[in-house]
Amino acid sequence: MRTKHNNRLGWLFASPYLLYGLIFFLIPLGWSFYLSITDWNLIAPVFHHVGFDNFIKALQSPGVHAAFIVTFKFMIVFVPMVIASSLIVALVVHGLPRFKGLFLIGFFLPYLASGVVSSFIVKGFLSYNSPVNTFLRSSFGLDVNWLGTPFSALLVVSIIMAWKFTGYYALILTSGFESISKEIYEAAAIDGVNGWQRFWRITLPLLYPALFTTLILSIGVTFGIFTEVYQLTGGGPNFATNTWQMEIYKQAFQNLSAGYASAVALIASVVTFISIFIIRKFLEMWGKRNGWT
Amino acid sequence: MKMKKAASLLLGASLTVSALSACSTGNPGSGDSASKNGTTTIEFWAAPNPPQQAYWKETAKAFEKDHPKIKIKVSPIKESPTSEASIQSAIAGKEAPTMSENINRGFAAQLAESKAIEPLNKLDGYNDIIKSRNMNNTIKGWKFSDGNQYVLPIYSNAMLFGWRLDILKKLGYNEPPKTYSEVLDVTKKLKAKYPDKYLWAKPDLADPTAWKRWFDFFMLYDAATQGNNFIEGSKLVADDKAGVDVLNFMNDIRKEKGILTKQSKDPFETGLGIFTDIGPWTLSYWAEKFPEMKYNETFALSTPPVPDGASTKDVSTFADTKGLVIYSSAPDNEKKAAMEFMKWVYSKPENDVKWMEKTNLPPARDDLASNDSFKAIFDKNPALKPYAEAIPNAVPSIDNAKYNELQTYIGQYAVNTVVKGEVQPKKGWEKMKQAIEGDLK
Repeated sequence: MRTKHNNRLGWLFASPYLLYGLIFFLIPLGWSFYLSITDWNLIAPVFHHVGFDNFIKALQSPGVHAAFIVTFKFMIVFVPMVIASSLIVALVVHGLPRFKGLFLIGFFLPYLASGVVSSFIVKGFLSYNSPVNTFLRSSFGLDVNWLGTPFSALLVVSIIMAWKFTGYYALILTSGFESISKEIYEAAAIDGVNGWQRFWRITLPLLYPALFTTLILSIGVTFGIFTEVYQLTGGGPNFATNTWQMEIYKQAFQNLSAGYASAVALIASVVTFISIFIIRKFLEMWGKRNGWT
Repeated sequence: MKMKKAASLLLGASLTVSALSACSTGNPGSGDSASKNGTTTIEFWAAPNPPQQAYWKETAKAFEKDHPKIKIKVSPIKESPTSEASIQSAIAGKEAPTMSENINRGFAAQLAESKAIEPLNKLDGYNDIIKSRNMNNTIKGWKFSDGNQYVLPIYSNAMLFGWRLDILKKLGYNEPPKTYSEVLDVTKKLKAKYPDKYLWAKPDLADPTAWKRWFDFFMLYDAATQGNNFIEGSKLVADDKAGVDVLNFMNDIRKEKGILTKQSKDPFETGLGIFTDIGPWTLSYWAEKFPEMKYNETFALSTPPVPDGASTKDVSTFADTKGLVIYSSAPDNEKKAAMEFMKWVYSKPENDVKWMEKTNLPPARDDLASNDSFKAIFDKNPALKPYAEAIPNAVPSIDNAKYNELQTYIGQYAVNTVVKGEVQPKKGWEKMKQAIEGDLK
């Protein structure tokens, strides 16, 4: 009797979330599935069923191929960059005698900044006649087309993203550092452990849960890059920065192909799920093999 | 039992809230267009720029004085992410207004194909508007491939090219060049005297975004073909020779190092580039931000350059033009009231004069350059006169529902790659044609 009562109470407390999940997740997902087999253009009153044509078209599209590859390119450039910078920030902040919170807030601020505004500023900063480029040209004869070549465009977007997320991940890593007991370091010092061994053998394994979280979060970010790419490169040059979100946006809101965009979105979600699952498993195995988890 | 009651109550409350929110349109004007005293209220979405909104608010008020049974609610179209996307989502969410402005021909084609807007020529009063506004010629270019007119153009920015006259003079020219060879000569002299300057400094040339082709490719293509159509219905009818000529022209300037496609800040205003497309809206912007830009001193305006040997008189150009539409979802009485409003606005030139004074955008009428009502405006701002004169030769954008994809191909396969020297003009043109024809099938 008591169990039945607890069950009801459980359902009652879970009901807001279930309702939320139904309205904001399951219904849109079902709607997206339905749209993906139609040629609906967002405004037409009728839906023509096209079967799996949208999926076939998407799998053959250069835009989708690019989105698939570009995500992994971003992963290779952005993830090490943001993890390294947030580790450095966390280490520095952790070592501060006081005002740790204040510094962390300072580093966290870019995360709250609008992607539109930061992209706009960067665009001005990198323009051909900006002081930086004028200086590079006149002093070193360097004439860099920052947003016009595939690698530099990818690098610029990755740097902005890393700048934005460093403070956020540093917050997680700092709490990881804080949770490591000082006694362990003291014991290690008595055993004659040097600085590198201390970092590699003690800090990193004990920090691994926090590091694992930031790694997974940062990998997830690469599947959802939009604002910076939209503002700075529009997915170019020649699809070099065309992310999944960019492709979905272009198809849905510029080309008015809502049905096709839904198919792309579903493919993107499957790719995202599988990729993150594999990477997560790999990281878990890596942690276990090294005795970090 | 109590728990069951509480759960039922919670479920009931949430369902009621959901049902109520589903019933709400969020648009008090829609669905209830006639009030108790027989007043029809119409919802009008104005372009999201302050002068246009102010104009429509004032005009609506003046109209209401003459027509107490019609009320017009003017509000701006949300521009997030674009005004087109806001209109699409409003239509999809059954929140469309009665009428709106800011509609170009390409977007109108998408709306028309989805039966979201009314063919205006089938509504009472359409012919009266065309006649009283004196726009028989201007409206011709707006006819859609199904023979209907879905948009009433409000303004027509016959796009012109601006030249830095002060720099041209230093190169020994007193007026802008008119043909491709003349432009190339200017480029050579410019690079010889000012190696750090460019003829055409414009990052958009390397950007495949569809609408950007209106302000480079189509301006030159319209001039090279005297306004030949690019696509008719679902058929590519582009003039191959003129198209390749345009790309060759761009390629020749590139070879002379006259094109800069890197991002640059105010390249024309700073003199980094000496040639660029200019719409009349730029003139108000300059008056505020760059007062040193003075017509016929710092800059001159010209129609697009044409291939050697072509006539340099009555040169065609692209018309950046937008207009009014009436949405099909509106009830009949609202559609009728909307037509009444349009008829009233365009029955007298004073409203167009007021429009031009407020916005600097040339009203889409055949007599703009010759009608005395507008003389005072041109006397005050002579830079607007060339725009008015070019209106009869201005060609609006293509009326294909896939205009976005099609214009993206022009950039992706032809313009962008040619200006970057990645493809030869003829090959780029062929690849572009192949992509467009593939999509039109």
